[in-house]
Amino acid sequence: MPTHAIELDHVSYTYPSTGIGTSPVAALQDITLQVDQSTKLGILGPNGGGKSTLIKLILGILKPTAGKIHVLGESPAAARKAGLVGYLPQHIQSHRDWPLSVQQVVELGCTSKLKPWQRLSAQDQQAISNAIEFVEMQELIDRPIAALSGGQLQRVMIARAIACQPKLLILDEPTVGVDIAGQQRFGNLINTLHRELDLTIIVVTHDMRAIAAVADRVACLSRTLHFHDSPDGLSPAVLAQVFAHDVAGVFGEIHIDAHRAQDCDDPEHTQTDCGCPHTDQSPTSDGGEQ
Amino acid sequence: MKTIELLSQADIYPAIVAAIVISIMGGALSIFVVLKRLAFIGQGISHAAFGGVGIALVLGVSGATASSQFVQLAIVVAFSVFAALWIAALTRDQQGRTDTAIGVVLSASMALGFILFTFAESRHDHDEHGHAAHGHEDEHHIIEEILFGNILDTNWTSASIAIGAALLILAVVWYIRRQLIFWAFDEPVCDAFGVNSTKITNLFMVILALAVVMAMQIAGVVLAAAMLVLPGAAALNLSTKLRPAFMISIAIGTAGALLGLIIAFEGTYPIGPSIVLTQSVMYLATLIIKKILTTRLPS
Repeated sequence: MPTHAIELDHVSYTYPSTGIGTSPVAALQDITLQVDQSTKLGILGPNGGGKSTLIKLILGILKPTAGKIHVLGESPAAARKAGLVGYLPQHIQSHRDWPLSVQQVVELGCTSKLKPWQRLSAQDQQAISNAIEFVEMQELIDRPIAALSGGQLQRVMIARAIACQPKLLILDEPTVGVDIAGQQRFGNLINTLHRELDLTIIVVTHDMRAIAAVADRVACLSRTLHFHDSPDGLSPAVLAQVFAHDVAGVFGEIHIDAHRAQDCDDPEHTQTDCGCPHTDQSPTSDGGEQ
Repeated sequence: MKTIELLSQADIYPAIVAAIVISIMGGALSIFVVLKRLAFIGQGISHAAFGGVGIALVLGVSGATASSQFVQLAIVVAFSVFAALWIAALTRDQQGRTDTAIGVVLSASMALGFILFTFAESRHDHDEHGHAAHGHEDEHHIIEEILFGNILDTNWTSASIAIGAALLILAVVWYIRRQLIFWAFDEPVCDAFGVNSTKITNLFMVILALAVVMAMQIAGVVLAAAMLVLPGAAALNLSTKLRPAFMISIAIGTAGALLGLIIAFEGTYPIGPSIVLTQSVMYLATLIIKKILTTRLPS
C-alpha cells in the first residue's frame, strides 16, 4: 500500500498553441506535491491558475510536459482504469434528456470495471446502493434524471463518482453557484464520505469558504505551488500572493465560517449555537424539484 | 394486390429480409444518434459516399458484374469510413462543432464524387467513342441507384453482405454498449471514468459509415440518412426508459420498412422514399400520442 495517495515530482504542463496568433500557454510550472492517504486536500487558486489542469493531470487525461505523477502508486491512467479514482466535474454537461434513471446513472460509474459479458456483482450492487444512500437519493432511485433539480443531479453525480468504491475522490469546483447553506450541507456530506469510506478527497475551488468547511490540508496554486500546509497556516499575505489581490476582508470571514463548520461537526451542537440551517436536513438537500 | 403477387416470387425475399435486418440495425443505432445530437451524421456519410463511387468509376469498377459490385462496395465502404473518421477528427479540431465538420466533409466528398463522375464520363467519350451514350447511361443509373436504392435487384449474395454487416454492427454495439452509453450521455467526463472518448467516437463513426453504406445499397441515400433518425426520435417520444426506447425504436424501424415496402409495391413508388415517408408519419403519430398522454396523465 503506497503511503501517498498522490505524488507529483517537478510537474509542468504547457498547453500547445490552439491556432494562428496564439502561443503555447504554461499552465503549471515545477509542481512538487505529496498528498497522504485519507487527507482532505483543498486546492485553492484564482481562475486560470491551473487547478483544472492539475486535476486533468492527476486523472491522466493530460500528460505532463515535464515531471512524474503517481496516483496510489500507479500511473494516473492505470489508477483511473482500475477504478481507484472518482471524479465530480466542475460543470455537469451530461444530456439531461437521456432516458436514464438515477440508479442507471450511478451504475455508469462502474463502466470501466465491467467486461462486456459481466453483470454487476453483488458487492458492486451493494456499493452502488450505499453511494445512493450517502447522497440521500434512495427514494428517487427510479426517477428519470430529466425530472431532477440541479442540486439533486449534482448528488447523483457524486454517487456516480463513488459507485466504483474509489480510494481517491476529486471534486472540481463543487460549490460554484451553491448558496451558503448548500455549501455547509455539502461540507457535511464530504466529511461523512471521508469518515465512512476512508477516502482521500481533493476539492478544487477558488472559494475560500468551501476550503475552510472541508479541508484539513490546503494547496494554493497559481501556476506554481505557493503553499501546502494546514488551513491554519493560511495568511492574508499568502492569499494576496496567490490571488494577486488583497483578500484580507474575505480572509476574516472564512475563519469565522471555518469555526462554524467545526462547531457544526460537533454532535453536541444545536442549531441555535451557530444558526446553521442544516442540523436536521439531508447533507446537500436543496429541497427543490423540477 | 401487387404485394401478394410479388410475395409469390422467390426473388423478392432477399430484399425483404435485408430490409428487416437493416431496419433493426437502424432502430438500435438511431437511439444513440438522436441522443448524441448527431442527426445529420447520416446525411454527411451517405452523401460523402458519392466520393467513393466516383473513385470506383475512375478505377474502372462500374458494378456491372457480381465481382465488380463487390469491389465497388469495398471502395465505397472504405471511402465512407475515411469520411466518417474525417468528420470525427474535424469535430475534435473544431472544439466539438460537429455540424461544421459534417458540412465540410459532405461538400468536399460530393464535389469530388461529381468531378470523378464527369472524368469517368469523358473517358468513355474518348476511349469508347462509339459507345459513349451507353457509358453515360451507366453512370446516370449508378447515381439514381445511390439516391433511391435498388431493392428489387437485391439477390441473396448482396442481401447476405448487408445482413452480415448488420449483425456484425449489432454485435459490436452490444459489446461496447456500456462505454457507448457513457460516451453519448456524458462525453466531457468519460475519459475520467476510464472510457476512452477518442476510441469510442472513432469506433462509432466506423459503425455508422458501414451501416449507412449497407442501407444505401438497399434503399438509397434518403433511407440511409432517415433510418438513423426517425425510429429513435419516434421511440423517445414514447418512452422515458432506455431499454423500452430501444425496443420501440427497432419496432418502429421494422414496421415502417415493411409498411413502406407495401405502399411502394402497391403504388409503384420508389422504395426508399416510401419507407422514409411511412416512418415520418409514424414519428408524427408518436408526437401526437406524446402530447395527448402528457396532457391527460398526471406526471
